[in-house]
Amino acid sequence: MRSYIAKRLLHTALISWGVMTTAFILMRIGPNSPADKYLAGLGAGHNVTQVVAAIESRYGVDKPLYEQYFSYITSLLQGDWGWSFGTSMPVMELIKTHWIYSFQLILLSTIFAVVLGIALGIFAAVRKNTAADHAVAFFSFAGISIPNFWLGIMLILIFSVKLGWFKTYYDTSLPMFSLENLHALVLPVFTLGTGMVAGYSRYVRSAMLDNLGKDFVRTARAKGLPESIVIRKHVFRNAMLPVITIIMLDMGSIVFGGAYITEVIFGIPGLGWMSLKAVFADDYAVVLAVTLIGAIITLLFNLLADIAYMYLDPRIRYE
Amino acid sequence: MKLAAYYWERIKRQRPAMFGLGFIIFLIILATLGTYFTKSPTKVNFDEKNLPPPGYTVEHSMYSAQNESFITTLQEGTWEHPLGTDSMGRDMLAQLVSGARVSLLVGLLATGIAIIIGAVIGVTSAYFGGAMDDILMRTTDVMMTFPFLLLLILIVYLFGASLTLIILAIGLTGWTGTARLVRSETLSLRTREFIMASKALGAGDLRIIFRHLLPNTLSSIIVLATLSIPGAILAEAVLSFIGLGDPTVASWGNILNAGQGSLETAWWVAVEPGVMLFLTVLSFNFLGDGLREAFDPKGE
Repeated sequence: MRSYIAKRLLHTALISWGVMTTAFILMRIGPNSPADKYLAGLGAGHNVTQVVAAIESRYGVDKPLYEQYFSYITSLLQGDWGWSFGTSMPVMELIKTHWIYSFQLILLSTIFAVVLGIALGIFAAVRKNTAADHAVAFFSFAGISIPNFWLGIMLILIFSVKLGWFKTYYDTSLPMFSLENLHALVLPVFTLGTGMVAGYSRYVRSAMLDNLGKDFVRTARAKGLPESIVIRKHVFRNAMLPVITIIMLDMGSIVFGGAYITEVIFGIPGLGWMSLKAVFADDYAVVLAVTLIGAIITLLFNLLADIAYMYLDPRIRYE
Repeated sequence: MKLAAYYWERIKRQRPAMFGLGFIIFLIILATLGTYFTKSPTKVNFDEKNLPPPGYTVEHSMYSAQNESFITTLQEGTWEHPLGTDSMGRDMLAQLVSGARVSLLVGLLATGIAIIIGAVIGVTSAYFGGAMDDILMRTTDVMMTFPFLLLLILIVYLFGASLTLIILAIGLTGWTGTARLVRSETLSLRTREFIMASKALGAGDLRIIFRHLLPNTLSSIIVLATLSIPGAILAEAVLSFIGLGDPTVASWGNILNAGQGSLETAWWVAVEPGVMLFLTVLSFNFLGDGLREAFDPKGE
């Protein structure tokens, strides 16, 4: 077990290094220099060549590519993620102020999606092939197919613009869990959560149906257990195994997937919102850091999903 | 051919898949022939800006220099513009038709590129095994771990927003699923008798790969391709939506981007491209699911 985890962590480090290197090369062969954006904001009367040279030496981009690469890795290993010239802050500081908003959005959306998705999945499974089951199936197909950025805009159109029920402005000067901000998060959570609800309800339904046909369920029924206990203790618990894995994998990929675009639409200052701003500002250090963090999060959640599976199902052992 | 007829019989029985197929055919006709029947999607006419679809009336307030005050006028939709116009007076129907063309182009070409790369990598990896397999699969891992959207945004931002580049970027980043699928299918096929037999008869690697291995994974590839098309279409739409689309063509994402800014004055601009996007994605999902059922030998 321990050697398995060690091996997986090594794999994680290797893949993260691959992602970082690819992103690094991609950004450096791009035609933009960090001086461009700075010059655009600079008034007349400066010696442009001098300014460019100063900026390029400040960020080290005047050195050969391999030298830049090695100095980036060296400082990364020392815990220095570089300097964001778009905001004049260390990159780590910037990430520290923004990650919490992504976390809040993803946490609330996941809770919403897990509760509703599991409920709908069980509901559909125990009423297999009835109108209710078909309705859930239709909803999940629609939920999976609806582009979440469009769903967000439609929610704003209906509930903010036309009905005026929800404001869509997240106020960072108020506490994160203040009523105002929770109110502002209703539509984003719905935007991000709908696709997840749709996915989870399908998985739960099929996992429930798989287990309903198993011998141990027939035995449980044959020994006279009430149907509610059969469903709850025998079917549901076993059905949750693959579902937990899927939820974990989802959480790993959502930060720069669904949450990214949701943050942009609703102006929530999380990592997605921040990284898009960084891309448009040619703020390489931030983009590089965010890409690397995104990769690490994905990999760690993959690992966590496997460990959770192994922990919950004693039949499974990894070498 | 008999096999195709057999699968067609099985797909025909699934209503959602047939709905999907019907809408996709409609979309293809719209994208190819639609431009002959609609106005120019780029023709600007400020006298007809923000016209609603017929049957709807909206209030427009305009500043009048003569009265030095805002005057409110009621504007009714006309059949001249059956889906209304946007904030620059461009015909929405014409823009949606242009968007259908863009979306189909992106969906089919990007998926095609991704499938070809994925199939080649998958089959090479499994067939040759060893170090080749290790290198290719670790590359696939890196690609899979890359935050997909961030990578696309970065590529398109750095190297310019043109439709060609967007299609290439989506295709070049989207092959990992196919590579894994083809690899695992090839691994199970590789030791089967008919492959051994053709090896024993002296068939070369290329012949085995192209005549035996790939054709046998074709049904899985078709299903995966159908289900990947919506992803490619959505990727282009998201890019355009955040302002990184090709500015020279009207795509559904571009229109949505404009529509988001005019929700209060012209709701239809944001609603219409989204409905098209939604129906398109839904159709491909329905069709892909139907194909999977039809190809599944257990599903009789």
